[in-house]
Amino acid sequence: MDGIKEDAIHNTALKLAEEIKNLSIYKSFYSDIQKLVSSPNVKKEDFKQSLQEAMKEKGLDTKLRNTVYHWVRTQSKNNKLDPLTCLSKASSQWEKRIHKSLNSMCSDLETSLAKLRPQSEQDDIAEKWNELSTYSLDLSKYRPVYAPKDFLEVLLTLSGYVPFTREDEPKWEFAHLPLQVKTLDQLRKEYPEWASGEPLLGANPESRCALGGGALGAERAALGARVSALRYAPVAQEFLKRGSPHCLRAGLWAQVLGVEITPHQTANFNQLKKSVLEVDLMIDKLIFKDVQLTASNDDQYFVFEDLLYQVMLCFSRDGEILQQLKGCVGSALTVTIKGKQTSPDNTTVFPPSGIIPFHGFSMYATPFCYLYDEPVQLYYTFRAFYIRYWHRLHNISTHPQGIVSLCLLYERLLEANEPLLWIHFKNINIHPVRVVFKWLMRAFSGHLPPDQLLFLWDAILGYDSLDILPLLAVAILSFRKENIFQVNTIQNVDAVLADLSTISIVPLLQLALMKP
Amino acid sequence: MNPDSKKLAASFYGRVNAPIVERCRVNFCTDLEKSVLMSNFERRGWHQVSPDDEWNFYWASTQTCRNLFSVESGYRMNDNQMINHFPNHYELSRKDLLVKNIKRYRKELEREGNPLAEKAEVVLQGGQVVTRYVHLDFVPVTFVLPADYNMFVEEYRKSPQSTWIMKPCGKSQGTGIFLINKLSKLKKWSREAKAPFHPQLTKESYVISRYIDNPLLIGGKKFDLRLYVLVTSFRPLKAYLFQLGFCRFCTVKYDTSVTELDNMYVHLTNVSVQKHGGDYNSIHGGKMSVQNLKLYLEGTRGKAVTDKLFAAMQWLIVHSLKAVSSVMANDRHCFECYGYDIIIDNQLKPWLVEVNASPSLTSTTVNDRILKYKLIDNILSVVLPPEGVPDVRWNKQPNVEALGNFDLLIDEELMEKDEQTSASNRGHKSHKNRTT
Ligand SMILES: Nc1ncnc2c1ncn2[C@@H]1O[C@H](COP(=O)(O)OP(=O)(O)OP(=O)(O)O)[C@@H](O)[C@H]1O
Repeated sequence: MDGIKEDAIHNTALKLAEEIKNLSIYKSFYSDIQKLVSSPNVKKEDFKQSLQEAMKEKGLDTKLRNTVYHWVRTQSKNNKLDPLTCLSKASSQWEKRIHKSLNSMCSDLETSLAKLRPQSEQDDIAEKWNELSTYSLDLSKYRPVYAPKDFLEVLLTLSGYVPFTREDEPKWEFAHLPLQVKTLDQLRKEYPEWASGEPLLGANPESRCALGGGALGAERAALGARVSALRYAPVAQEFLKRGSPHCLRAGLWAQVLGVEITPHQTANFNQLKKSVLEVDLMIDKLIFKDVQLTASNDDQYFVFEDLLYQVMLCFSRDGEILQQLKGCVGSALTVTIKGKQTSPDNTTVFPPSGIIPFHGFSMYATPFCYLYDEPVQLYYTFRAFYIRYWHRLHNISTHPQGIVSLCLLYERLLEANEPLLWIHFKNINIHPVRVVFKWLMRAFSGHLPPDQLLFLWDAILGYDSLDILPLLAVAILSFRKENIFQVNTIQNVDAVLADLSTISIVPLLQLALMKP
Repeated sequence: MNPDSKKLAASFYGRVNAPIVERCRVNFCTDLEKSVLMSNFERRGWHQVSPDDEWNFYWASTQTCRNLFSVESGYRMNDNQMINHFPNHYELSRKDLLVKNIKRYRKELEREGNPLAEKAEVVLQGGQVVTRYVHLDFVPVTFVLPADYNMFVEEYRKSPQSTWIMKPCGKSQGTGIFLINKLSKLKKWSREAKAPFHPQLTKESYVISRYIDNPLLIGGKKFDLRLYVLVTSFRPLKAYLFQLGFCRFCTVKYDTSVTELDNMYVHLTNVSVQKHGGDYNSIHGGKMSVQNLKLYLEGTRGKAVTDKLFAAMQWLIVHSLKAVSSVMANDRHCFECYGYDIIIDNQLKPWLVEVNASPSLTSTTVNDRILKYKLIDNILSVVLPPEGVPDVRWNKQPNVEALGNFDLLIDEELMEKDEQTSASNRGHKSHKNRTT
């Protein structure tokens, strides 16, 4: 028995050692170790022991552990193409529609998807890079390619792609999809700290506006400072489960996501900026438009407008995103860059990131403005968050963390735990997912005040799961149900749910997770 | 969710659900029919009367209030009347008097040998060494013109490269304000002001203050803070700070270059100024909440410095009030809500710019309306005794629930009581110690 286990561990270790050789950190790590080996600290007689000691001392041990942690996390992800071919069909049709509408927008506006920027324009943008809000663009004719509403319509047709629909079941669309989702009891096991009523940061709404912190705040701050200094990703992740003090979050999130700003990253970011300057992608206008429609009009984010333009423009140029999400998002367009001589490099993937923004896309990035005021820092943490989580919220897949599963989880939770609400929605003929979909798709960004939102996202990172989103949606409905019972049109339900500025998410979620 | 947890949940629900207020007969009167006022009065079931009728509660303009208290009016208030200004609020709200009072307060403390008045030398940007108060240096160096002209020139010479801001004492909303970086410009101004075709200007006095040229910027833009402070008594001092202040942002990036010196969209944060800029956004009105400022500062700069900044702001408010408490006519019928304008510099030090005795109750945005509605609601519940009818015999010690979004800044009466009890406790203990 033990033998088999040991063999398995040995094999995994071998595989790991091979894999690490392919990682970008390998070269510098290897040379660091070599240096260490030749130092007097490492003794020939006691090589293994003394090397391990020395590695610990130099922080290389933590570095190695973090590397393994991040590698394992990327492996456990379901990176294969969709097993449910029916959904992948739906997904590719949706993608085609988006591409088509991009193309027709281009021809309507008599512009092209990609063209070289004239030098004068390049200079202009370069000069205004730090205040792009003053860069004048006529965007009146540009419209977001699609909005959450449009995406929802597509999702609601998904059951049509599933061959067997049982006649005797009610026509609640997601219920027909042969996907497994958790029950509330299973969620309680997923979130044991919350379910058992452990003290969580943000659980006491009194402390929200008050200037002081409270005893729990002080305790978490002291512990958090130690965790942060440890620089060990799994510990940081564990710490986030019970909420981070605001002042430590920037560092802890970066640790959990494996973001470290090296000169290489900075150079890379500048390269992205350069490609924004050189090539004019039609996406750029959509990005400007999106920031203007969302963050610029929001009292919580308008001050960060200029930062967001930079970050979102660079995001669109980042080929690494497409690389890392291969198989999770569909295929991107390839277009010719107008104005470039015919040569092998006059085409570009459109956009290089492979991600076409929808109305509200920038809201995935806005909350990070409360953590980082350096664009490079903000960019890489946001990008890592996107690659790990957000892309699942606007792509059709059967992944248990994908938007389809989350919608289904929401439906099941609502039906099982708030049957009267469920029936009310049926009676007034409103699909219950309609009233919460924009929350789910934007992970509540722009809907909750930033302090609350950051606590919610702490939990996403801490438990490495998006399941908390549908759970929160149900908890909010349940909280406002008396008001929902009073109304019977979608407009009025929306009105009841419009203002979440007074919601304290931690006590609400904890209440939902604690055993009745 | 089960019904029990629902009950629990209801207590987490922070919405301003109009609590059931006891409806008592209060006759109010107002010079200002702002909706945030009227809806609060209405919700309390108050009855509107004219100033000549028997009123209990008057939301008056500063002018009306001064008239009422003037000797000529001969008006005497009874025990069940209350008004929203102190008769000589201008000791705090006029730019020249505020500075005068603070200077006097510091001198007095210095004379007493109070450690609060400690001074130390600081090095200015140009390398010159000047002496400043360590704890009470919270207003930019200011002089009244034309009276203090010579003193100003002396200070100016110490750092000739700095910029100064000129403000007419009696005006508001940014009118008449301009920046100066050369003495010649001031001379030109004073020649013009004395010129025969500007006779009205000769009468007007100005303050000239050191311009805070290193403001904290967010997103590259300058902002100032508007905090609300409620004073229910000056002797003993009783003051409350409203948690829901906001930051007012300029619409244009901050730029200290000389060419932008006359661009008021860069330098003045007044909404009344910014509104006329092309980039003014009427949805948020350039306003961000103080809670979000705090969140941002904690997230990007850390907790210790943020806490220190907020403590320094409270300190600044308390001492500006103490500076005027001896000269204020402390009438028991009065309370007043002040709008404090504060600028934070890039070292996270707050500077008091101005105090308004009639902060605007106009709502520029939806959030603004919610905030001002709560402000008025909370003011009423703090200043009124629990029974809800004005009564000057009440001890002005509202209970915790009545505070709403106000935090107690200072209550000298309570402090004295605490000191007495702890002194007697100490006495008691030491006594016990001796016997055992
Ligand atoms: N010393 C200073 N340093 C930097 N900026 C200043 C200074 N004094 C004033 N300002 C800026 O000028 C604006 C107007 O100043 P202030 O509030 O004193 O004038 P006001 O015309 O009385 O305005 P209000 O309408 O608030 O009464 C302030 O909001 C601030 O942005």
